[in-house]
Amino acid sequence: MSKPHYDREHHAKKATGIGDPQCFKGEAPPPKFKVGDKVRVKDLPDIFYNRAQVYTRGAPAVVAELVYESPAAEDESWDNTENVTWFYSVIFKQKDLWPEYPDTFANDTVETELPERWLEPL
Amino acid sequence: MTDEHKPHAPAPMVDEVSEFEVLEIAVRELAIEKGLFTAEDHQRWTEYMHTLGPLPAARLVAKAWLDPEYKKLAVTDGVKASLEVGIDWVNSMPTKFGTPSDYCNLRVLEDTPTLHHVVVCTLCSCYPRPILGQSPEWYRTPNYRRRLVRWPRQVLAEFGLQLPEEVEVRVEDSNQKSRFIVLPVRPEGTEGWTEDQLAEIVTRDCLIGVALPRPGKTANDPRPVRPALKPYHH
Repeated sequence: MSKPHYDREHHAKKATGIGDPQCFKGEAPPPKFKVGDKVRVKDLPDIFYNRAQVYTRGAPAVVAELVYESPAAEDESWDNTENVTWFYSVIFKQKDLWPEYPDTFANDTVETELPERWLEPL
Repeated sequence: MTDEHKPHAPAPMVDEVSEFEVLEIAVRELAIEKGLFTAEDHQRWTEYMHTLGPLPAARLVAKAWLDPEYKKLAVTDGVKASLEVGIDWVNSMPTKFGTPSDYCNLRVLEDTPTLHHVVVCTLCSCYPRPILGQSPEWYRTPNYRRRLVRWPRQVLAEFGLQLPEEVEVRVEDSNQKSRFIVLPVRPEGTEGWTEDQLAEIVTRDCLIGVALPRPGKTANDPRPVRPALKPYHH
């Protein structure tokens, strides 16, 4: 059996002149959430690389924007770019992340981006 | 010369070589040895990176203050708005699909009188380098990254920025492929100013969100430098 050919420049060829994440546009299945939806961050196992901050796990949030389509970081770090997914910008109340956050500043928030698989409807 | 314009030597926050820098040197040398790129390529990219700075972003903010249509464009499509201040996120060196790890999705965060944005990357130190240049040393420290997301008011106060409780502080944790700059509220006392005048008061710290622009203030505050526990001597 011949050794499978691996093209280490496949991403560069795809993204040059278009940009990343723009080069994945249109590749994700239809988004499950829309702006204003209440979601919760799943606490998925994370043996290897991912970019879903531990402090967000299990916390409720509101979808602020559908930002772009891209493979999730945990896939892309292994060069698996087949499962393109929607990314959402979500807003947390500080109080929902840190119970000791002072009530005086109850309006304060954190905004961050997560791929669809990390979110569940609330 | 006022105090804040006095030139001061750019002292590093921590004067020791981190494990990450050692790792970078090791990987770089291996890559050169393997022929992935040459030492000359590396030098060219490094020199290019050092030509970048926060001026285009300051210009973007000044234009947005003056032109409501441009502001709308900046907030909805930061990459397109960057073109007007001379920054092409997509076709810039060295890769032509975003500088490595910068990607091409600039989001411009619009402040209002009741909403203030401040940017951090808790996971590493993502920073909109094509339009802001290299990040300041403090932005990359675990101290800033760990504390800003949890105690934003305290950290901002250490930067000299105390905001009333009616103002929502929104920490933007830059953890994926978007990069962020803050579009502050145009300060009072700048009525009738030209774009050049306005751009001058939009400092790098204002664009990260740890300071607010104000007339007459055209430089970042110097940050205190603490001696390293394990100093590195060249």
